Amino acid sequence: MDMSIANAQGLVLEEESSKRAIETIQFIVIRLGDEQYGIDIRNIDNIVRMQHITRVPKMPIYLKGVINLRGEVIPVISMRLKMGLADDEFTKNTRIIVVKLEQEGNVGFLVDEVKEVVTLAVSDIEKINYNANEEMVSLINAVGKHNEELISLVDLNVISLEDN
Amino acid sequence: MLALKNTEREGIISMDVSQYLEIFLDETREHLQNLNTQILELESDPEGEDTIKEIFRAAHSLKGMAGTMGYKRMQTLTHDMENVFTEVRNGNIKVRPDMIDVLFKCLDALEEYTDNIQSTADEGTNDNEVLIKQLNNILSEKSGGVPQAKTPVVKTSAALEEGDRWDTISLDDSQINVIKEALNMGKRVYGLTVTIQESCILKAARAFLVFKAVEERGEIIVSDPSAQDVEDEKFDREFTLILLSDVAIDEIIKAAESVSEIEKAKGGLLDLEKNKHYKAGNEAEQEAKQEAEPEAQENVPVVQEQVTAADSVVKQAAPVKTDVKKQTSGKPVVNRTVRVDIEKLDSLMNLVSELIIAKNSLVSASSQEQVGAHNSFDEQIEYLESVTTNLHESVMKVRMVPIESVVNKFPRMIRDLSKKLDKKMELYMTGEDTELDRTVVDEIGDPLMHLLRNSADHGLESAEVRAQRGKPAVGSIFLDAYQEGNNVVIEVRDDGNGIDVEGVKNKAIERGAITPEQAANMTDKEVIGLLFLPSFSTAKQVTDVSGRGVGLDVVKSKIESLSGEVEVKSTLGEGSTWIIRLPLTLAIVQALMVVVGNEKYAIPLGSIQTLEDIPPTDVKLVQNKEVINLRGTVIPLIYLSEVLDVESKKAEDESLIVVIVKKGDQMAGLVIDELIGQQEIVIKSLGKYIKQCKFISGATILGDGEIALILDANALI
Repeated sequence: MDMSIANAQGLVLEEESSKRAIETIQFIVIRLGDEQYGIDIRNIDNIVRMQHITRVPKMPIYLKGVINLRGEVIPVISMRLKMGLADDEFTKNTRIIVVKLEQEGNVGFLVDEVKEVVTLAVSDIEKINYNANEEMVSLINAVGKHNEELISLVDLNVISLEDN
Repeated sequence: MLALKNTEREGIISMDVSQYLEIFLDETREHLQNLNTQILELESDPEGEDTIKEIFRAAHSLKGMAGTMGYKRMQTLTHDMENVFTEVRNGNIKVRPDMIDVLFKCLDALEEYTDNIQSTADEGTNDNEVLIKQLNNILSEKSGGVPQAKTPVVKTSAALEEGDRWDTISLDDSQINVIKEALNMGKRVYGLTVTIQESCILKAARAFLVFKAVEERGEIIVSDPSAQDVEDEKFDREFTLILLSDVAIDEIIKAAESVSEIEKAKGGLLDLEKNKHYKAGNEAEQEAKQEAEPEAQENVPVVQEQVTAADSVVKQAAPVKTDVKKQTSGKPVVNRTVRVDIEKLDSLMNLVSELIIAKNSLVSASSQEQVGAHNSFDEQIEYLESVTTNLHESVMKVRMVPIESVVNKFPRMIRDLSKKLDKKMELYMTGEDTELDRTVVDEIGDPLMHLLRNSADHGLESAEVRAQRGKPAVGSIFLDAYQEGNNVVIEVRDDGNGIDVEGVKNKAIERGAITPEQAANMTDKEVIGLLFLPSFSTAKQVTDVSGRGVGLDVVKSKIESLSGEVEVKSTLGEGSTWIIRLPLTLAIVQALMVVVGNEKYAIPLGSIQTLEDIPPTDVKLVQNKEVINLRGTVIPLIYLSEVLDVESKKAEDESLIVVIVKKGDQMAGLVIDELIGQQEIVIKSLGKYIKQCKFISGATILGDGEIALILDANALI
């Protein structure tokens, strides 16, 4: 009798934990200036240290150029310029986040620093639906709550869809 | 337990064979190609002893391989071919043109077997009795003594006509079983031969309707040609079905004949005893068994023990296998090819690139420590550097294959076309060693074939017309491949009639593709472009070579899918040239590495004419543009630093380094800062994200892992 109850309880616990596992999303937290942003980890292919970027002429200013990632030529976009911040200053913390975009394949994004990986429950993520004219806002598609702090969640696929 | 062991063993045996299937297919294709080439040679030089020996060797290897794999039909055919070659080699038979024809047909049949094996791992059911008979005729005619009854299944074409078609249809064991079972159950088994009217255009569709009508009244067990072939319109005008039904045959005949454009349907009860294959198959099986057993005993007594459990196919296979080994040891070195999965290559390439990155960090680490004691360390790095660079290069080259493998089959095709169309023609090929990405090479065969057929059929005039126009009796078709900048260009050229622009216009108006008003305003180029529209054919007569209007639009879409382009140049009465340009997404080209500002760029050598050192005083202004006078030619200057938005490092009074590039008749001088030198570079795409920059055609990764952009000189001019 006792056994079966214990078993049943175990089952319930297990169910709960699996439910929770399904409902969380991991984000990589990056820093741009003083702001922190989250990028869905499922979109990220790779994070590499700063390396020489070959400039491509006649490109929009935020398109910094191309890098060689293990034999693949990948365009690199400055998140700072894209978001209307000052141009990048390269430090030892500067990283290129390589993201696999749906349409364009791999694209690298320059960020000031990669901080940590956070796990957010889906219930702690709030979608932003309003259309502001400001470009910066349109890149941020949701806000997540993590340890009482708010993190802006960036949808990089939106970046790619804009005409460059 | 015993039963289990048996199945286990069988499993192992069949696995053994399937494991070799790929090698078998590769080698078979190689041998077939070799045979094709050699027999072509034999045709022009019937006495060539080496050629005959080579043919014999290839045929023998083929036979052995087919036997090893248990492909009986293929083995039978190659066996008989080999017999012919033996007699030719021994000087008992002289090579004659009709014999060459038969041999080529045999090769086609073998190719068909190979295709079947590739798609289904089974050789198919075509026995090619006619060919085997022809081979035996050659043997018996010339040497007299060679027995004709060697092949088990001999069917004369006369018998084919008199008897009912369904009595000659080939049946396999399972089909025979089904028929027997149905007969036992008291069902009626009919044969039905349906002939479609000659004028019918949509034969496959009519046949489909007949199939449907028959299926409503019974069950179709066998179709000859196969249902698939009928669907693909791979039949003449006639097809034969064997079916089970409860209704009277008359009703089925009536149903079949009610389909329009059906000439006649003939049907009757099937008598299994009358079926030639049923009888012959039984005999053949016995004969094959008898033949196999003594051979097995002679050659490989050791293998025999293992073999007893297996069926007669494997029995036959075992001895031949040892035969092949003996043969290969004495064989001259043939071009060995290795097929590699592209995915594997890609990962290998990535690994090598990573190795380079690792090396780079080592290089930078060493340069930071400027101490003399690190000599050996530096040496090691240098070594690592050379190894990785070479490795990188060679791995990337693996993906590139010469187009030879594709174009090799064309001489044979032109020869066949020449006979079929009754026009004399010769194919001249150059640049077979031009390398292209494997994927492109695999795809380019069909479009090229279309264009060649097009030239042979539409392009070249008939002998009389050629004579009238004072052209040589033998028409020429050229296939030239070469690299031009970032492109590989493949040209199909003929000295035939050229494109009749007015003819195309009239046809287009007739078809309603354009209005007469539109036609009047169209340029010749636009009119020629009409040819690439789907379902457009100007051939006055539809032949089975071309003229169905499904050629050129397919060619165009195929080339475009490879992101290439097709261009046509044509002069009426003189001939036309079809130019295919394929961009080298992953091709290796020779390029000149240059420095502009602080950046490195690559300019493909193909577009470069010369390099010049020009003193600033030689630069003149014409219409406000800077030009130089180079040996009498006025060439405009393009300052790359301006085009590329970089600061030039050069002082004003320094002499200019000018790269003279050419596009068609136009020339331009690209002013650069510094020359690095010539280098073989691998072209990489910049990706989909970067698309607007029109004078950057791609990027390449330099030996140190850095990226240099490739300038498209054509876009700069």
